[in-house]
Amino acid sequence: MAGTMTVASKELRDQFGSRRFLILFGLIVVLGGLSAYQGVDFIRNNVGSSFVYIFSGARMSFSFIQIMVFFGPILGLALGFDAVNKERINGTLSMVLGQPIYRDSVINGKFIAGAVALTTLAFSTIAIMCGITIPMLGFAPTLEEALKIVALTLLTTVYLLLWLSLGILYSTVFKKTSTSILFSIATWMTFSIVLSILAAALSSALVPLPAGDFIGTPVAPAVPAAPDDQVRPNFQGGQRFTVSPEYMEAMQERQALQTAIQNLSPTQLYQITASAILGVSSFGFGRQEFARTATLPEALANNWANIAVLAVVMVVAFAASYMAFLRIEIRPGD
Amino acid sequence: MENVVETRKLTKAYGDFVAVNELDMEVKRGEIFGFLGPNGAGKTTTILMLMGLSVPTKGTAIVAGHDIVEESREVRTVASVLPEYSSLYGDLTAWENLDYIGKLNDQPKEERENRVAEMLDIVGMSKWADSKLESFSRGMKQRVGIASALMKNPQIMFLDEPTIGLDPVATKEVRELVLKLNREKGLTVVLTSHLLHEVQVTCSKIGIINRGKLILLESMENLNRIMSGGEDRRVEFILTDTPTDLIKDLEGIKGVKSVTQENNGLYVYGSVDSDLEVSKTIVSHGAYILMMKPREHTLEEIFMKYYDQEVAG
Repeated sequence: MAGTMTVASKELRDQFGSRRFLILFGLIVVLGGLSAYQGVDFIRNNVGSSFVYIFSGARMSFSFIQIMVFFGPILGLALGFDAVNKERINGTLSMVLGQPIYRDSVINGKFIAGAVALTTLAFSTIAIMCGITIPMLGFAPTLEEALKIVALTLLTTVYLLLWLSLGILYSTVFKKTSTSILFSIATWMTFSIVLSILAAALSSALVPLPAGDFIGTPVAPAVPAAPDDQVRPNFQGGQRFTVSPEYMEAMQERQALQTAIQNLSPTQLYQITASAILGVSSFGFGRQEFARTATLPEALANNWANIAVLAVVMVVAFAASYMAFLRIEIRPGD
Repeated sequence: MENVVETRKLTKAYGDFVAVNELDMEVKRGEIFGFLGPNGAGKTTTILMLMGLSVPTKGTAIVAGHDIVEESREVRTVASVLPEYSSLYGDLTAWENLDYIGKLNDQPKEERENRVAEMLDIVGMSKWADSKLESFSRGMKQRVGIASALMKNPQIMFLDEPTIGLDPVATKEVRELVLKLNREKGLTVVLTSHLLHEVQVTCSKIGIINRGKLILLESMENLNRIMSGGEDRRVEFILTDTPTDLIKDLEGIKGVKSVTQENNGLYVYGSVDSDLEVSKTIVSHGAYILMMKPREHTLEEIFMKYYDQEVAG
């Protein structure tokens, strides 16, 4: 344990002193502050709104959740992608392992340091956001809202640690930092951008819509011939059309498939769960809708599987890097 | 004397490539052991195994009484290594690097601080204790490296090419430091180097390894005997002149195998017993001996001899 804490404290010092971390931390704090400011604006214009909306920003803008969805992977991966292979390249790994410590002290110490740095980042960003907004609003969060904020912070921490674990895994598996950074970027792009495109393309290909059914029977605007959820404006606007039940069924099936594919992404799971905790529906960068405010137990109960998946992926990624690290063969030059 | 290192059939293979092949060797306490061999011969791999950093494919080794596989952590408590290239953190100061190593060795704060100061003093780096390693010359880094290897107060220290890339002054400093540590602290040292002259003047025992196999293990004392004595001995004479028939008469002396003349020197190959007769013969030809110098074989010649024999199979 002494070895683990020694490695962790050295790594933590390196993290807090690194330009990479400080720049990202600064960026997150600035964006978080702006988001909180917009949240305050929204709350002022919508009397009776919950305090937690400071994390949701205003409509057509960005929120803390979206900042984390976009920058969270970069933060976690940036702290982990060269944790092990940089030491191998510099030859310091054999020096550290040449001391009377257990080998896992090194990988555990590195993870603990990264975890402390990211937890500090998540907690301090949220604390700064609250600190900015309470004087501006003139009221503090209620107990229920405070608990929601704590839950959001913990969820954000788990989400960031997931990316840290992946970064450490890449740095353990790949000997070159250039390879691990490429894999990190590829992973981030896949889960943040590519998977959404792939989900849309795959669901369209696998669930074709009935031909011509979208242009259905025109409906008089004054007297809708069908329930509201089956009536959609066409793209030209103005005239409304009914949509056949087959079309609606196919659309729902396609949507379900697309969501299922998108849910393979940790960013999507985080977004859904964080939105549920705050009681806001989020549909991507700049698009949010406020939903019925669920209680915290309800939100957690409805999203426990998402939280579990995020935690399990984090643990599995770290366990894989732990195993890979223990099997590293120190060779001449390491 | 007690063995600090003892290997039995120590073998390391990376797939089909056998880096170290059934190595049997012993290093006694207080020795400075020169481990020689061409690049890729298996020297560093052997050191990594002896430090418990690489698991042998076959065979065993004991370092300071500890099995390198079963008790690798204990091995690392009593043995330290200075790798071929500086393996310290460039963004930390000399003090911080040593302090970190002290912490990894679980040394209490006060003891650690005293030890850092002492080690920096031993290697002559106290003045630069608070400077970052990245600002140091290679020689300075190497001195801090030696200090870092001494932090745990080891019984044995493995120095892998400690003078590589150093200028002659820094090379001499490192050599003197190693000798001082051996002399004053009784430290056992295993040293690999390509600078055979350095090894010759520093080490008390030599092992030559090639393609993973140990081809020579001999004390310097015995090597010196081989180098200076026996049939292979060569004596260089500088004479006032070389009279006619001198060479022919010298070749006729019992024990003299051959005589050659190169520039101003006359080189007589033969046994020690023939020295007196050779001198008398030179004088009897009316020549004066300005200098007589037994010319020893260098370690390089011995190394090349064994290396060539091994390569030739």
